[in-house]
Amino acid sequence: MFALADCNNFFASCERVFRPDLEGKPVIVLSNNDGCAVARSNEAKALGIKMGDPYFKIRELAERGGVTVFSSNYALYGDMSHRVQEVLREWAPAVEQYSIDESFLDLRGMLTDDFDSWAKALSARCRRMTGIPVSVGVAPTKTLAKVASKLCKQYPKLRGGCYLHRPEDIEKVLRRFPITDIWGIGRRSVRKLEGMGVRTAWDYARLPASTVRSSFALPGWRTWKELQGEPCIEFEDMVEPRQSICVSRSFAKEIKDPSELCTQTATFALSAVHKLRSQDSLALEMLVFAMTNRFHADEPQAFSSRMVVFPDGTDDHRAIVVAAAEATRALFQPRYAYKKAGVLITRLAPREGFSRSLFEDPGLKEREGRLSRVLDELESAYGPGTVRFGVQGEGRVRMASERQSPHYTTRWSDIPKVRIG
Amino acid sequence: MIPNPFPESLEAELLGSIKAGFPSPAENVRERLDLSRLLVRHSASTFFFQIDGTSMVDADMDEGDIIIVDKSIDPYNGCKAVCFIDGEYTVKRVEITPSGAVLLPCNSTNGHYKPIPVGPENDFLIWGVVTYVIKKA
Repeated sequence: MFALADCNNFFASCERVFRPDLEGKPVIVLSNNDGCAVARSNEAKALGIKMGDPYFKIRELAERGGVTVFSSNYALYGDMSHRVQEVLREWAPAVEQYSIDESFLDLRGMLTDDFDSWAKALSARCRRMTGIPVSVGVAPTKTLAKVASKLCKQYPKLRGGCYLHRPEDIEKVLRRFPITDIWGIGRRSVRKLEGMGVRTAWDYARLPASTVRSSFALPGWRTWKELQGEPCIEFEDMVEPRQSICVSRSFAKEIKDPSELCTQTATFALSAVHKLRSQDSLALEMLVFAMTNRFHADEPQAFSSRMVVFPDGTDDHRAIVVAAAEATRALFQPRYAYKKAGVLITRLAPREGFSRSLFEDPGLKEREGRLSRVLDELESAYGPGTVRFGVQGEGRVRMASERQSPHYTTRWSDIPKVRIG
Repeated sequence: MIPNPFPESLEAELLGSIKAGFPSPAENVRERLDLSRLLVRHSASTFFFQIDGTSMVDADMDEGDIIIVDKSIDPYNGCKAVCFIDGEYTVKRVEITPSGAVLLPCNSTNGHYKPIPVGPENDFLIWGVVTYVIKKA
């Protein structure tokens, strides 16, 4: 059996742990720079606020509906996610963290077979320990476990846990489950599915095997088998190195000055180097990009980018930061107001065993390597952002986060205050 | 012959090469006492709060003290807990009676604070049980 533990409205729930007065009230959390809604409490959903709605479009609705609005506080969400993980690891033989708020659990080898009580107890335990409501779905496959956890959210009387395994129950549930809500069914397949008359997950599961194999690629075939109850999506408790690294942000205020844009992209590059080094990879290609605000249709629009190639591969702070700044100067066009920029390392290679070209200067590589290791040590001792490159300028990355809650669990000066009496 | 002032192993370390000679009997002892291990039983459910407001005579918590709160502990009769009542956080001693909870002030001598019985009209939550108080000496 597999389980999916999914934190309900995760970011909004994290905020509520420290603000019990918001229980039962509408809450939303906005993305970086207060761009759009990325988490909504059930009450906010009921008001008609959709995932990804730009804040300026829903501001009035939010004010009228008495919605409490938060800027995102990733330090808090990251810590609360770790806490939930800790509880899950105590309860399951193996845990695969799928995202910040979802984990698959591999229950093979567990002695219990009363997975319904187990799921409800695990949900209660997570709530008790961390304050976060978690939906635990248990089923013979990962795809069906996801379906089961969605049922928990729809039906509060399941008390956070659902064991979906009897064939007649699976049929009953899938008959009412839209195929587009099934894990692994991409938006691109929707039209094809409609053409075949497939609307529910059950319609899809009833397609003949030969039809599925000839009409869909391997992921579609796997999903079909998983819906039959045959596990075929691997359980991955080993973290695979990332195939690409992206660091991008939108700015509180549009940027029209090339040096200012450089300070931003240099900072993104430094953070990308950090991720690169932590997984022992080398960068081979990097895309630096900047774009205008697509919501301001009356202003000139541009998506500008430059590709940088590192033929020998590099994980050197200086080389990557300088290249990002140079690329930014090259892509910058004066008449545009840039709203968002980023650094995307598109091609990576493992550092171990990467063959070096014949023409490089080994002495230079050695010196660069030493500087970078010193930077790593400074960062791990004193925190990210300790050392800055000249090109990053003085200022910090400008982020709008006026409505951010305190870093309750990660900063001593921010721990909640309590009156004594 | 003048004996070498450096034992072989130390010299080897100074030269940055492979260690040789007798291993130090303390080699594997690297651990110091770690306060977290003493004060935090369940790291997933342990949170820190800070006492706010004026200090009171004989109260065992003063302004600025840090309290350690464990959400995993069942509230028991007489426990000190961070409570959330009618929109505010407060630390109280919780008396559990057959008819419900009564909140007693943590301060024993100051008669200014009266016990508060919790009724259905209160918006009430025991947020977590206080396990330790950290105060500056």
